[in-house]
Amino acid sequence: MAQPAWMITLNVQQPAWIITLLVSSLVFIVFWFILKNSKDREEDYDGIKKKGFKIRNVYFVILFSVLLGATFYTITDLPYDRPPEFVNATEVEVEALQFGWDFSQEEFEVGEKYAFHVTSQDVNHGIGFYDEDMMLLTQTQAMPDYTNTVYVEFEEPGTYQILCLEYCGAAHHLMIHEIEVK
Amino acid sequence: MDNPLVKINPMTKRLVTFPVLMSGLFIFLMMAFGVIMLLNQANMIQINMGMFYQLMTIHGTGMIGFAALGAAGIMWYFLSQYVELNRRVFQINLILFLLGVVSVLVGIFKYDFAGGWTFLYPLPAMSGGMWAEAGATLYLGGMLLIGCGFLLLFLEVSRAIISKYGSFAQSLGWPHIFGLRKEEDAPPPTVVASTMVSIVNITALIAGAAILVMSLINLYNPSFTIDPLLAKNLIYAFGHIFANSIIYMGVILVYEMLPRYTGRPWKSYKIFLIAWTLSTIFTIIIYPHHLLMDFVMPNWMLIIGQVLSYMNGLPVLIVTAYGALMIVYRSGIKWDVTSSFIMLSMFGWVIGVIPAIIDATIIVNQVMHNTQWVPGHFHLYMGIGATAMIIGFMFYLTKFDANRTDQEIDRASFWSFIIGILGLSASFLYSGQISTPRRWAEHVPEWIAPNIIGVIFGTIATLAMLVFVFRFIVISHKIGKSETSFDESTRKIS
Ligand code: HEM
Ligand SMILES: [Cu+2]
Ligand SMILES: [Cu+2]
Repeated sequence: MAQPAWMITLNVQQPAWIITLLVSSLVFIVFWFILKNSKDREEDYDGIKKKGFKIRNVYFVILFSVLLGATFYTITDLPYDRPPEFVNATEVEVEALQFGWDFSQEEFEVGEKYAFHVTSQDVNHGIGFYDEDMMLLTQTQAMPDYTNTVYVEFEEPGTYQILCLEYCGAAHHLMIHEIEVK
Repeated sequence: MDNPLVKINPMTKRLVTFPVLMSGLFIFLMMAFGVIMLLNQANMIQINMGMFYQLMTIHGTGMIGFAALGAAGIMWYFLSQYVELNRRVFQINLILFLLGVVSVLVGIFKYDFAGGWTFLYPLPAMSGGMWAEAGATLYLGGMLLIGCGFLLLFLEVSRAIISKYGSFAQSLGWPHIFGLRKEEDAPPPTVVASTMVSIVNITALIAGAAILVMSLINLYNPSFTIDPLLAKNLIYAFGHIFANSIIYMGVILVYEMLPRYTGRPWKSYKIFLIAWTLSTIFTIIIYPHHLLMDFVMPNWMLIIGQVLSYMNGLPVLIVTAYGALMIVYRSGIKWDVTSSFIMLSMFGWVIGVIPAIIDATIIVNQVMHNTQWVPGHFHLYMGIGATAMIIGFMFYLTKFDANRTDQEIDRASFWSFIIGILGLSASFLYSGQISTPRRWAEHVPEWIAPNIIGVIFGTIATLAMLVFVFRFIVISHKIGKSETSFDESTRKIS
């Protein structure tokens, strides 16, 4: 079972990086193998194609199954709907503006459940929750005229950083805000 | 193989030379700007933050624009073998493009526009004090000119294809897919690809023009507002499709040249045609993967965004890249610089797809969206996918249409380019993996190490690009003037 996406302990960055490296290496090996075997000439291209298409059938089935499996594995717990545990969550209003954040409350508690309702006064911004190690835990867009709700439960006490994750003008990188979790 | 010769009119050769030269030259310049951005993020130089975002805006706009210009040259050049194209339209596009570029440059550098190449509404009109209407008007107006030029170009390509093949359904090979006509008579890959690109780009450019015009009106009449979510959809539909179309134009070089290098045919067949029809549909409808963090979007659109983004990898992984590997396997191919770039582009496309598919996963996107992971993906895909096609085409033109021979320096810069872009992209991906946000002028100390690596590899790639462009400029005046050397030299000799 995949960890629910809204839980902030989720660390998917590292697996993403490792999978990328592994699969890229695999691709590299395949290309290398073909290039190593490209210099001699085999006149019977139809023969090569026949064999190639056979291998491709297997490759297709494997690739398709992997993608399908990954889809089912990852699509079960999306961050969009309010999870049942969050029915009684504390509601927090957040408004972004060039270039800062306006929170209806600044202090939070470990183990409490929060629903952050995020909107913007002016342009598009993005709210990114960073932990003490500066790892991104979750995010949503802060849009004018719309309110996106992101569900967060803090697992560790400490000072968390809010960083802007949508380019919003010259001081975009100064849109940092600290919140305390006790 | 029936016809190993490329039959291209010398006028067409000369016609594409200038835009391809501009494309190479500006890609080089934009790379240099990229290195400056990295130097600033690595805290090795200090530029003011406004200038950083101006450079970011021109880097993104210029890269996409000039890569599209070069790739359109590839399409035009090879497509002219099969259909009657009106060269006037190509020239009009070029003129509108250059006018648009001037307007964009003035908007950015004289009037301080720095809204990013995605000009996300309502940012152009609400800069927070950095730029005023003039800058935004010049930028958006310039983009509109560029868009109109390309729209004309793709309408002309559509016209030419339809007048020869009857309809897009025919030129996508649907009768052949459904067995109504023999596979052997299917339209050649170049025509199929050009059809796909025309369809997706006409869609993209109309969406783009609509949002550009609305944004322009909004600049002067703030009471005219657009639904910001609709605006976002239009912008990403335009941006995603147009940026992706570059590689689908460039790949024509692969389809045209690998058969000639290997003496083996690469014809359209059923699965090939199905793959291209799927690519047409997917390319248009998967853009919501840019909106996965817009929770107010209809959820089904976002789920489709993930699922179809996965599937969108299949055509290239199963058909094009696989086909390229099959055709060179034990072919006795001669690896000159052109054929090397062609193969490199296949490699770049495939590995560029991997981090993209991962990031299109909603629960991954939740911690990767708008981090450096995203530039990591598209610097692979664009840098050694699409750009490799354009550089390959530059080497193709000077070799076959102007008698250039490969030199040591060409091979050395080829390898430097690969190493440069791979290192640069890895540094971006690594940054993404440690949560560094994208589009941040200044980085905190924890984020800086990969930026320094990026500076080193980015510089290597930029220098390599300088060599390619220099070699092209020196020889390009001969293109289309001397007899084409193609016929003898690449009729496949074992
Ligand atoms: C030496 C080569 C290059 C270097 C050093 C470089 C560097 C950069 C940097 C530093 C950024 C900003 C990253 C951030 O968000 O913090 C960037 C963004 C970008 N680059 Fe490159 N780049 C290079 C080549 C390319 C190529 C070849 C292309 C496409 C053909 C390209 C297209 C883009 C685009 C579209 C953006 C996004 C701009 C935005 O976020 O608005 N780059 N690049
Ligand atoms: Cu921002
Ligand atoms: Cu996209």
